[in-house]
Amino acid sequence: MSSNGDIVAKNPGPVIEAVNLSKSFDALEAVKELSFTVSAGQVVGLLGPNGAGKTTTINMLSTLMSIDAGSASIGGFDVETQSDQVRQLIGVAGQAAAIDEKLTARENLELFGRLYKIPRTERRRRAEELIEQFDMGEFANRVASTYSGGERRRLDVVAALVANPPALFLDEPTTGLDPRSRTELWGVIASLASRGTAIVLTTQYLEEADRLADHILIIDHGQVVASGAPEDLKRELDRDVLEVHVVDAADFTAALDIVGPIEGLVTDSDARRIGIPVGDGAIHSLDLLRSLQDGGVSIADFQLRRPTLDDVFLMLTGSPIDKEEVSA
Amino acid sequence: MTTQSMRSDVRPALVSNPSVGLRLRRAAQDTNTVLWRDTIRTLRQPEMLAFAVIMGVFFLVLFNYIFGGSIGAGAGIDYLKFLVPGVFVITALQGAQQTSLGLATDLTEGVTDRFRSLPMSQVAVIAGRTIADAVRNVASLILVALVGLLMGYRFASFAGAVGAIALATAIGYGFSWMGAAIAAKVKQPDMVGMLSMFWLFPLMLASTAFAPVETMPGWLQPFVRYQPISAASDAVRGLANGTPVGGDILLTLGWAAALLLIFVPTSVRLYRAR
Repeated sequence: MSSNGDIVAKNPGPVIEAVNLSKSFDALEAVKELSFTVSAGQVVGLLGPNGAGKTTTINMLSTLMSIDAGSASIGGFDVETQSDQVRQLIGVAGQAAAIDEKLTARENLELFGRLYKIPRTERRRRAEELIEQFDMGEFANRVASTYSGGERRRLDVVAALVANPPALFLDEPTTGLDPRSRTELWGVIASLASRGTAIVLTTQYLEEADRLADHILIIDHGQVVASGAPEDLKRELDRDVLEVHVVDAADFTAALDIVGPIEGLVTDSDARRIGIPVGDGAIHSLDLLRSLQDGGVSIADFQLRRPTLDDVFLMLTGSPIDKEEVSA
Repeated sequence: MTTQSMRSDVRPALVSNPSVGLRLRRAAQDTNTVLWRDTIRTLRQPEMLAFAVIMGVFFLVLFNYIFGGSIGAGAGIDYLKFLVPGVFVITALQGAQQTSLGLATDLTEGVTDRFRSLPMSQVAVIAGRTIADAVRNVASLILVALVGLLMGYRFASFAGAVGAIALATAIGYGFSWMGAAIAAKVKQPDMVGMLSMFWLFPLMLASTAFAPVETMPGWLQPFVRYQPISAASDAVRGLANGTPVGGDILLTLGWAAALLLIFVPTSVRLYRAR
């Protein structure tokens, strides 16, 4: 028998591999033929709106849900037929905090360490190390039901790290966190990856995928609509966005008439803001601004920027990521 | 097993094809861990133990002082002697109801999802809880016995008292697994609570726990005579009072074994099928 590190080292291939993964719930095809690989030290981001199939994918890969068609393996072990081995290689932090509410953080870590069969002295040392590293000393001896959302989320992610799993699944890990905790957690995820952990991360936050992922799969209705490095995805648009902020509602209507229907146009009537994709950056922008001015539109301000993943998503799916859900 | 250190990052050794022996040892280890966890939870919710004891005391007082006169006189028996052992069995049965409610609540908590992603025996989640509940049952039985003593009840012998508590715990343990199976099937705690009324009350009231079978209508007597709570009440009564028990102890143990044979595999299957 060998340690998990050896298992992964002996398999130079990807740590996490999904091949044509599919899952239906009655008539709904939640995930359709999803394929991707994650090698050691890599972060793959699954980006998409609510209901895109991100959580279903994580659940299948982490043995929580059966696979309808296709296959998946972790460290070379089949997720369906060798789930005992797979469970020794994975850590999961889900959307709902998977911790024992009646135990303290320290007791939670002891519980999971025992269930991973880590010998007593090692699991105690590991728990102390994690509590210190993640700055949980303040609440480590309080019962989890008294925790704030941020504290609970932090313990949930830390609980997934108890056994140093070579494969880590983080399902919307920063949802509901305040900006400071979010930045902290980003740092943690990046450092885990730098130490060789293969990570699958789902998110609705474009900025998060952009910051953390080496490779992004944009998912809509269970299917990959685009994939690549964040930079490549943005380059795929091959155009900048001219964002124009006009003075009043009349200006907004007039501006829309002048610009006309363009693929990838982003409009926000409340903020009286229009995002216009422009092919050759500066020159096209000047023309546009000039014609807006000639048409009598009062421009409050404007900005020429690189496309965000928001723009990419809009381009690919024809609908923006739901703002309500993103900010929720 | 070997364990390798990577700087401070220790990973547990991978167990790839465990033998049956190792598998069982790991399952026992997991059960012990879940027992530890459920014991902490029980200690942090003393109201669960209090509830079981209060119900026991409630039945003792209600039946002894309110119905006791008529039942005792009607059957020509010393009613307190009859009642206390019966209330033991009822207390243990209510412990089984708490297993059902506790597991159902567990299943709604996120921690269950983590259990399912961990390299642990899934049987242990239920086994650990039923054992923790059996331990709690023993505690509540001792407290109910003390209240009985205050009311003037006397055991025939110390060994009889120990035997009575052990047998009540045994039948309660069998029903705990039935409660676990219901929880694993139904999953919603409030629904599980409502459903438990349908098995708890008939088993409890149409039994010889509170009244002799002869005082009940003829059509009901066959059910009352052979159902597990009657067998357990008669057996526990015999042990506690030092009267002959006949085949009741074996019948009670048989019922407990039958409940385990049916509901251990059923509850594990239902829990896994979630």
